[in-house]
Amino acid sequence: MTIEEGIGAGAQGRAPRPPIEIPAAAWLALTLVFVAVCLVVARGPVAVGQTTLNGLIAAGYFSLGAVGLTLVFGTLRIINFAHGDLLTLGAYLTFGLNAMGAPFWPAAAVAIALTALIALSLDYVIWAPLRRARTSTLQAMLAAIGLAMVIRFTVQFFAGSQVRGVGQDVLSSINIGPLHLGSLQALVLVVGVVASTLVGLGLAFTRLGKQIRALSDNMALAEVAGIDTARAIRVVWIVAGGLAALAGILFAAAVGSVNPNFGFFTLLSLFTAAVLGGIGNAYGALVGGLVIGLAQEWSTLFVNPRWKPVVGFAILIVVLLVLPRGIFGGSRERS
Amino acid sequence: MTFLNLDFWIGVGVIAGIYGIFVLGLQLNVGFTGIINLGQAGFMAIGAYAMGMLVVDAGWPMALAFPAAVGVAVGAGLLVGLPTLRLRADYFGIVTIAFSEIVRYVLQNASFAGGNQGVIGYDAEWRAFQSWVSPHLKPLGLDRATQAPLLIAVWAMLFLCVCGLKALQASPWGRALRAIREDEDAAAALGKNVFAFKLQSLGLAAALAAIAGFFLALNVTYLYPSEFDLSFTFFGYAALLLGGFASYAGAALGAVVLCALTEGLRFLDLPLSSGQVGSLRMILVGLMLVGLSLYRPEGLLGNRSEMQLRA
Amino acid sequence: MNRRQSLLAAVAVATVALGWGPVRAEDGVTLTIGKLLELTGPLSENGPSQDKAITIAVDYANQAAAAAGVPIKVSAVSADAQGDPQAALSAARALVAKGASAIIGPSITPESIAIANGLTIQKRISLWPVGTSTRLRTIKDEGTIFRTVPPDSLQAYALAAAVVDKVGDPKGKLLSIAYRNEPYGEGLAKDLKAAWTAKGGTIQGPVVFDPAQATFDSEAQQVVDHNPDAYVVIDYPDTFAKFGASLVRTGNYDAAKLVVPDALAFSTVPGNIPPPALEGARGTRGGSDISTDAYKLFDQLWQKAGGVEHFALDANSFDSTTLVVLAAAAAHSTDPAALTAKIRDVAKPGAPKFGPTTLGEALKAAWSGKPIDYVGVAGAFEFADNGDPTISRFDIYEYKGGKLDVIKQIDAAK
Repeated sequence: MTIEEGIGAGAQGRAPRPPIEIPAAAWLALTLVFVAVCLVVARGPVAVGQTTLNGLIAAGYFSLGAVGLTLVFGTLRIINFAHGDLLTLGAYLTFGLNAMGAPFWPAAAVAIALTALIALSLDYVIWAPLRRARTSTLQAMLAAIGLAMVIRFTVQFFAGSQVRGVGQDVLSSINIGPLHLGSLQALVLVVGVVASTLVGLGLAFTRLGKQIRALSDNMALAEVAGIDTARAIRVVWIVAGGLAALAGILFAAAVGSVNPNFGFFTLLSLFTAAVLGGIGNAYGALVGGLVIGLAQEWSTLFVNPRWKPVVGFAILIVVLLVLPRGIFGGSRERS
Repeated sequence: MTFLNLDFWIGVGVIAGIYGIFVLGLQLNVGFTGIINLGQAGFMAIGAYAMGMLVVDAGWPMALAFPAAVGVAVGAGLLVGLPTLRLRADYFGIVTIAFSEIVRYVLQNASFAGGNQGVIGYDAEWRAFQSWVSPHLKPLGLDRATQAPLLIAVWAMLFLCVCGLKALQASPWGRALRAIREDEDAAAALGKNVFAFKLQSLGLAAALAAIAGFFLALNVTYLYPSEFDLSFTFFGYAALLLGGFASYAGAALGAVVLCALTEGLRFLDLPLSSGQVGSLRMILVGLMLVGLSLYRPEGLLGNRSEMQLRA
Repeated sequence: MNRRQSLLAAVAVATVALGWGPVRAEDGVTLTIGKLLELTGPLSENGPSQDKAITIAVDYANQAAAAAGVPIKVSAVSADAQGDPQAALSAARALVAKGASAIIGPSITPESIAIANGLTIQKRISLWPVGTSTRLRTIKDEGTIFRTVPPDSLQAYALAAAVVDKVGDPKGKLLSIAYRNEPYGEGLAKDLKAAWTAKGGTIQGPVVFDPAQATFDSEAQQVVDHNPDAYVVIDYPDTFAKFGASLVRTGNYDAAKLVVPDALAFSTVPGNIPPPALEGARGTRGGSDISTDAYKLFDQLWQKAGGVEHFALDANSFDSTTLVVLAAAAAHSTDPAALTAKIRDVAKPGAPKFGPTTLGEALKAAWSGKPIDYVGVAGAFEFADNGDPTISRFDIYEYKGGKLDVIKQIDAAK
């Protein structure tokens, strides 16, 4: 562009546009493909193919769990440490209903609805009062930690801390040439992608979605503009709670056995995925999960798998240092 | 009188003192600087392991290893803070969580730190000192209580730290810090290097964590990564919430009350299975946290005006 | 009720809740056993089964004592170690405050060492950990720590022998090792690797996996790659349920090539471990002349009590509890130090042997002051100076149809 155009743009309050704008997603895809090619050269296509598939599976778990987390974090600014335990709650409600005689998947559907309802009532009882009292991020965080303990140990009080088999078929697998993945794992992957995409599309194109986005930008302004923020917040909690329950149930089914700590143990990976992708961005949850999952599984090609957790955290720190708001966080200032 | 067992409560006192020192660092960061440091357990691990390894592997005397370890932790604090303090407050918090967990996993998996086998044997000098001190405690009736010397040492250190921090708070440095917490932009406009202050605050918190780690190491006599997990930090924040974010004395008090409550609940005797009693204990602690956040967010000693933290 | 009565009522409730209730009259010896359990925290999977193991041991001992006319009554109190050494130390103190004469149960060595150094050595209370780390033997415990779990060095030899039994001469054979990332696995893998390579074999791995992962597919792939002659997976049942599924899904896994140590030994395989993961697999566990009968009795007691399924090393906790009761009978006292002093007298080499099926007679003999050699479910102990069992007899078993079948016994010291 010419100097005149640049000055003109600046005078109008816009930043001058660079000649070619490559969106973050494209950069990411390029990087991943580049890394994959290097790996194939180093370790051979079958090993890389299998670990890539394993990484996608891990991404499925992370994405599904992280969408609800990122939604709540983005709109309500709550670091919801209790989110992981909503996964546990969903899974254990399913077990309970299953034990009472309902078949597994219908029980799961009911459990999802119940968890969404519980998440909503927790908003009435805890989060809304905290919002009204204008408490700080830290206070809300501590309330979340307390809530997480209450949920987890109430589940444990009734169900016991021992490991429980879920009873679904964890052995059936799908073979794609020399590669394989578990059937239930494939289900998790598909549901994870679909859920994140649906939420992302919903946020972008539905009226409710736009309201929620307005809410996350600036709640006071959204209210002044006449948006029914209370309703939008209710929807956020229902979606977050329902998706958390779904994530927990699928996780339990695909992994095969769980105990009441499993949601809390997964929480950190979910945070990592959400933050990596950019808080508040549903596609970010998907992409964040993808990056973490792939990074961790690819790392096993070079280092002992005992280092997998470290890889996840290291990637988080590196990405945040380069892209302080995550991959899709953009450069918009958030109030 | 099972509930009033002296040994038990001395042990609780030691734990409370350790948390007290740990929480002083959190109070400095959150209450007086406005940064959410969720990696305090990581700094504690670095301090404790540095001390342990210097004594066991390098043969240093504890009197040298301890200050050196604190130095190492401060260095870690500065290293962590340099690239990350420019992040938004909640992102910074999550990065510090990642740091804390990386420290823990590295200590578990790298052989230089003993890995799963941990570090042992660093407390020989302390034990000798302890057996020298114990008979002198006879006038207090504490000569048979194994942890009494440690209790005294921890609380003496806690008292020193509180006094030191209060003095620091009243100094120009402390006033600048407070200004930064109230309004970063205003403070910057007045020429204060906000970043440098935050970095110093983090370094100092890391030092306090290392001191707490030192006493933890002496208490459990065995260094193992799971001692330094996130739940330690969360518990510390719970203590901070309890004491109110307004003062160092409050932070220490919060630690004492929370530890006393949590440990005291061990004597809960109800016609439930062991597992259910264990779960109930945790449910009660969680309810207390939620209740405090809702009904008395300023804690026991705080006041509401101090609470606002813009994040 | 008026205010004063309500206040008194509240105080009364608090008093009872806090354990200040009236002391019951005692006759004979009334022993309190301290259960240090993992009720919450990262290791809480162990809690319920360990609780059950100690409880059925207490009940069985009470029954046997009553039937044999020995005036000893046993009860138990519990405290939560929370998977954290500092909390475990506090829990141990709570147990002592509640009157425990012995403490059964620290699951990990950091907990054991914290408790030993902070409490039990000074007060001469016997401590019975389930953890197997070699670190525990580096502290001077003055004869207060006892373990019914065989030391890694012996079990590693047993594992190697079990593999040799399957594949023949180790020379040139590839053994793939995997373990869950914690002290049990690490110690055992190290000794096994040394034992196997000393005999001329080669090792693949060890592949170390972190239990909190969502998928173990990459790790499982590394275990079965290059078609090793055998695999040894050192793991606990809760993780193995997940890891075993990953192994099977690789499509390249042969359960018959698997050998596992005692943490994965159960009379009946728990429901959440997929059957193809263990069918035909072999393993090692502590054994004795009476293994088969002893394990059968233990399993009967376990099934009758209902509740949780078998878990790792539950028989060992059962044995620890029984030994404490026998020692109390021998000491005629619940004083922790007196009890600790008598433990070796009830596991004395050369003395008349008794087992779980003859517990009543064992109690009688102990009560009358005769030394005995009690052989537990997990084998005989005859404790060494450092409190570890010296008996090196191991069962080698195979899983057939989901059930454990002992195929031979070996002496790992030979």
